Amino acid sequence: MANVSSQVHWEKTISEVNDEILVNLEKPHKSFYVALGMAASLLLAGVVFVGLHTVYGLGLWNFAPPLYWAVDITNFVFWVGIGHAGTLISAILFLFRAQWRNTVNRSAEAMTIFAVICAAIFPLIHMGRMYLGAYWALPLPNTNNLWVNFRSPLLWDVFAITTYFTTSLLFWYMGLVPDLASIRDRSKGIKRLVYGVMSFGWRGTAKQWWHYEAGYGFLAALATPLVLSVHSVVSWDFAMSIQPGWHTTIFPPYFVAGAILSGCAMVFNLLIPVRYMFRLEKFILPQHLDACLKLTLFTSTIVFYAYGVEFFLAWYSGNEYEWAIFEKRAIGPYAFYFWVMVFCNCIFPLAFWSRRVRASIPVSFVICVLINVGMWFERYNIIISSLVEDFIPGSWGHFEPGLFEIVITLGSFGLFFVFYLIFCKLFPIISLSEIKLIMPKPLSPHHADKKDKDGGHHG
Amino acid sequence: MANADQGIIAIFRYLDTVCHAIEKVRDRSEFAGHEVFSPTSYHEIEHSSGFGASPVRFFTLAGALTGVTAGFALALWTDYDWPIVVSGKTPGIYSFPAYVVIGFECMILFGAIATILGMLVMGRIPNPKRAVLDPRTTSDRFAIFVPGAKLDGPQAKLLREWGAEEVKLTGGAQ
Repeated sequence: MANVSSQVHWEKTISEVNDEILVNLEKPHKSFYVALGMAASLLLAGVVFVGLHTVYGLGLWNFAPPLYWAVDITNFVFWVGIGHAGTLISAILFLFRAQWRNTVNRSAEAMTIFAVICAAIFPLIHMGRMYLGAYWALPLPNTNNLWVNFRSPLLWDVFAITTYFTTSLLFWYMGLVPDLASIRDRSKGIKRLVYGVMSFGWRGTAKQWWHYEAGYGFLAALATPLVLSVHSVVSWDFAMSIQPGWHTTIFPPYFVAGAILSGCAMVFNLLIPVRYMFRLEKFILPQHLDACLKLTLFTSTIVFYAYGVEFFLAWYSGNEYEWAIFEKRAIGPYAFYFWVMVFCNCIFPLAFWSRRVRASIPVSFVICVLINVGMWFERYNIIISSLVEDFIPGSWGHFEPGLFEIVITLGSFGLFFVFYLIFCKLFPIISLSEIKLIMPKPLSPHHADKKDKDGGHHG
Repeated sequence: MANADQGIIAIFRYLDTVCHAIEKVRDRSEFAGHEVFSPTSYHEIEHSSGFGASPVRFFTLAGALTGVTAGFALALWTDYDWPIVVSGKTPGIYSFPAYVVIGFECMILFGAIATILGMLVMGRIPNPKRAVLDPRTTSDRFAIFVPGAKLDGPQAKLLREWGAEEVKLTGGAQ
């Protein structure tokens, strides 16, 4: 059967996996520390501004009713979306037996965890006092003994995000367990003890692998409908309202496709520097990067189609308020955001049809950065243009993000990259046990002779 | 008390060699209680060991069913336990379609947690009484451990014959 891995030329054997990947963790390239420093300063700026925000309140934001949570919810949707490609790669591609995933799944899963953390922070920031916000999000009765409203998409979102975070964390940690045991077996003293405890004393017996494989398969099967449900629930935050521009049934698939597009682009954006800093060029091969870009191209075309259908339906519905919103998006005061979104998400990724573009790392990297910019603008565009005009024309207005919005958004990127880089330093960013599965099997020379004599029909 | 790690361990370099050895070891009484070690989850080893479907699936099923029940129960119970009429909401208005989301998410959550528990329980980890027998088995080598066997015993001889590149004592006898 033809598959990607049979065409991949591995220069390495499974004996070199542990030695070479783990040694590089101990001595990353200098650029790692530069990147960590940059990310940490962004994070610091974000922390200061969130601190001010907690002390002085929401008035620091550039907001005016009816627009309460413009950039907060934009960032929330953006980060949840980034997380989605991680689950797609780790769970859905696992079920489809797409072998290229084994080289990138660990970094994609780590990306999911950290992106969901970034996302979960924004509703808390928005609630003003973060420590109280966390309490209010729980399904507990209020002072009148009234329960939270289980009919509200916002509460569905609390359940969806909690489940998503927990399941992604379990899935990711489960994949780490055998690798932590590998690190344990290479280390001594206190490090050995720490990694030994973290690996649950994994021994790698055939029985453990058997249950592990079964469990991994079930987690993948559970995570697959989950990933589709989470962004659907996020889209229902909007689509379940009756706001023109939001109240449409295309939202769930449209949001899921957009989420996977931005996530795939982010996976690529993270892989390229990490591959360089930790010298993984012999393990993350060009074919694997190419597969990631093809997936990006595929989801980009779905998003392109969704933009078209959304416009068509707004016109075809004959609802003048709906159409007015779309006019405002395309040629009104938000036209800048709209066209950035269209060019970054639909037009530039079309370059990935060309093999030469996909083979060029700098060009692909820039296009993937642009996709992420475009996806942020997409959420901004959808949210702001509908929110500024509610059902009371007297309160209509215009919105542009101010200093606080911009710094806190950049701060969330700082948080994400700090987490991610620290993770890369402490844990193998390529799944040691899974990459061994797609590399040539360690067969005896005797076996190879026998295979030749059999005329190739063996195996 | 006898140490569970006491015995011999045979290191194998090649996947096909260790699979042949597993098939031979499986039904022999002198290898009772043996364990196979592998750096990753090669399906060949699973086939040679004659494993069927893993019982982890029952954990997943039980967790998922508990979850879907708990999710619906939570939402329905809060409807039942609604003390005052606000916005026309009296006790006993049950919005099943809206609760599908809650039930679904709880199903996944409980199912995932139960799956992890299943993997740990069935794999008998964590178990502080067992030591790492050979660090190479988490890198690139396969191994078969035979508890209670001796280096000059018949098991060691057979394992060498079947292609083990090294046979050594483990546990307290080292």
